[in-house]
Amino acid sequence: MNNPKTKIINAPLNRVEGDLEIRVRLEDDRVSEAWSVGVMFRGIENMLKNRGPLDGLVITPRICGICSTAHLTAAAKALDAISGTKVPTNAVIVRNLALMAEHVQSDMRHGFLMYTADFVNPAYSGQPLYDEAVKRYEPFKGRTVIDVIKHTKEILDTIVIFGGQWPHSSYMVPGGIASNPKMNDIMQCKYLIDKFAAWYEKRILGCSLERWLNVQSGADLDAWLDESESHFNSELGFYIRYARDIGLDKIGQGHTNFISFGQLDLPENSNVKGRNQNSNLLIPAGFARNIEIEPFDQKKIFEHVAFSWYADDKGGKHPFSGETKPYATGEESKKYSWTKAPRYDGAPAETGPLAEMIISQHPLFTDIVNTMGSSAFVRELARLTRPAELIPAMKQWIMELDPQEKFYTHSSNIIDGEGFGLTHASRGALGHWVSISNKKINHYQIITPTAWNGSPRDADSIRGPWEEALIHTTVKDSENPVEIGHVVRSFDPCLVCAVHAIQGKKENVWKI
Amino acid sequence: MDTTKKIICVGNRYQPGDSAGPLVYEQLVNNAITRDIELIDGGLAGLNLLRFMHGADRVVFIDAVNGFRPFGGVIVLDAEDASRHADTVFGHSAGLSYFLRVLPEVHDGKLPEIFVVGIEGAPDSDKILKAAEVSLKIAALGEEALN
Repeated sequence: MNNPKTKIINAPLNRVEGDLEIRVRLEDDRVSEAWSVGVMFRGIENMLKNRGPLDGLVITPRICGICSTAHLTAAAKALDAISGTKVPTNAVIVRNLALMAEHVQSDMRHGFLMYTADFVNPAYSGQPLYDEAVKRYEPFKGRTVIDVIKHTKEILDTIVIFGGQWPHSSYMVPGGIASNPKMNDIMQCKYLIDKFAAWYEKRILGCSLERWLNVQSGADLDAWLDESESHFNSELGFYIRYARDIGLDKIGQGHTNFISFGQLDLPENSNVKGRNQNSNLLIPAGFARNIEIEPFDQKKIFEHVAFSWYADDKGGKHPFSGETKPYATGEESKKYSWTKAPRYDGAPAETGPLAEMIISQHPLFTDIVNTMGSSAFVRELARLTRPAELIPAMKQWIMELDPQEKFYTHSSNIIDGEGFGLTHASRGALGHWVSISNKKINHYQIITPTAWNGSPRDADSIRGPWEEALIHTTVKDSENPVEIGHVVRSFDPCLVCAVHAIQGKKENVWKI
Repeated sequence: MDTTKKIICVGNRYQPGDSAGPLVYEQLVNNAITRDIELIDGGLAGLNLLRFMHGADRVVFIDAVNGFRPFGGVIVLDAEDASRHADTVFGHSAGLSYFLRVLPEVHDGKLPEIFVVGIEGAPDSDKILKAAEVSLKIAALGEEALN
């Protein structure tokens, strides 16, 4: 028997916020090992220590220019919990709408500006649909690229109207929101939501939201695709056809563990209902092994640092006791990332729109994962269609706002104590764990979606989710490993808040 | 306010290599600025700077730059110069270069006159003051300020 030809390749991943390097070992042309390397130290947690209790509301939204509303939501929810304040219905709705606006914009921009950019890689120049892909996705010119930029530029104005600015807004406070929107503000936001929804239906889906929501299985998806030209040629229709042509449905499976912290509180007396009638969240919390869902308990979260450049803590710590002590000396051969390794009940788990769909028991995604397994294709399909899950709730909630009612419940000074704020950034589960002592922050830990998805190995040497998803991927050309990009980008990596600044020129190293 | 001239400071105040724009913003916001110039903290808005282009006749961006002056300093670029080295595709970290490169394709209406005041090297107080001063002049006078 011939020994396989082994090769290690390093792949700095561009089009990622922050810096990420993927190192893989190829045996012949298949990935046999993978390492995900976050190359920056963040240290935001350490910056927050000894500051005033409200400072997290100002500092954490500045961690990232893409997810600032998500960080603000998590920070505010942690302080709600500590102060014991009940957030009024109006404020719950405004917070939800802001987060959803961030999600629907991010989903479209990630999908059609970042993910499908790889569809015009020269590796695919022989594909029958390649010329059409170039017309849609060519950088700076592709009609989809231009269309998506144009039609996603206004939806975040809803946050500006409610919160004064985006990104880096700080209008969510313990007890509600700091603004007091009038009917005119609400109508402006309704106009923006309706406008985005109309574009999404026409250009992305090629059908009404109602029609799309009737797609409940893999067979339904195929029938939907062939049902009309508007489906077939819509952005979603083209994505499905092209992604299958290039085999994205056969790569990137991973551990098939999913985690959702849950997001979007359902206010009292709202007509918006989630898929899970037992949850008080539109997107429920949970943990799933394949499609078997378990109840979620944040106490089961531990962060490991055995392979991360932090001082060891022998097996992982809950974020209320976790520390951020950079430590690299002497362990260069073992430790390899600035990202910690969060685990749920000892297991790695991926998060993001697909995890949300699985935990919500969405029939289409449950069927696909159950029958065909997870893949880069289905992960991105979940992202591209998540707005269809959110828009109906956005349309309903904007109409449920009552400017005559309050948006804020007075909250006395933040008392000493500890609390956590769990929500979702566009890329998945986000949590802030906060402890206040002597009227100062004495502990702050943040676990981001990319910490889950892009984690290095844990104390048991188990790979992180996208490390695992890369295993067995066939790389046809090691000089142009576009397949690695597909797999990792299907998780929508965003390292800027995942790693705990190296700003280097990349011209001398290899880009995907 | 019927403003058609804007100064937009971009960057990340928590990352030393990218903090020049926010530092100039702080310099400008604490000083008298004429009523017909709107000052904007662009932060990490990236492509979402698009909304600030609406209705503008002239826009001056202030940002950290790299590779133009080996010994550091304050420079002024036009949109073409500033966008020449844009990454070919969008990423989460797509900066001002990408924005300026794609702007002509996605902006509705007449494009504003655009200048970029770049700060190369560590943003010390001399550079911050100079960039603030230059930006105000350009916002008020356009190319005339550069002659």
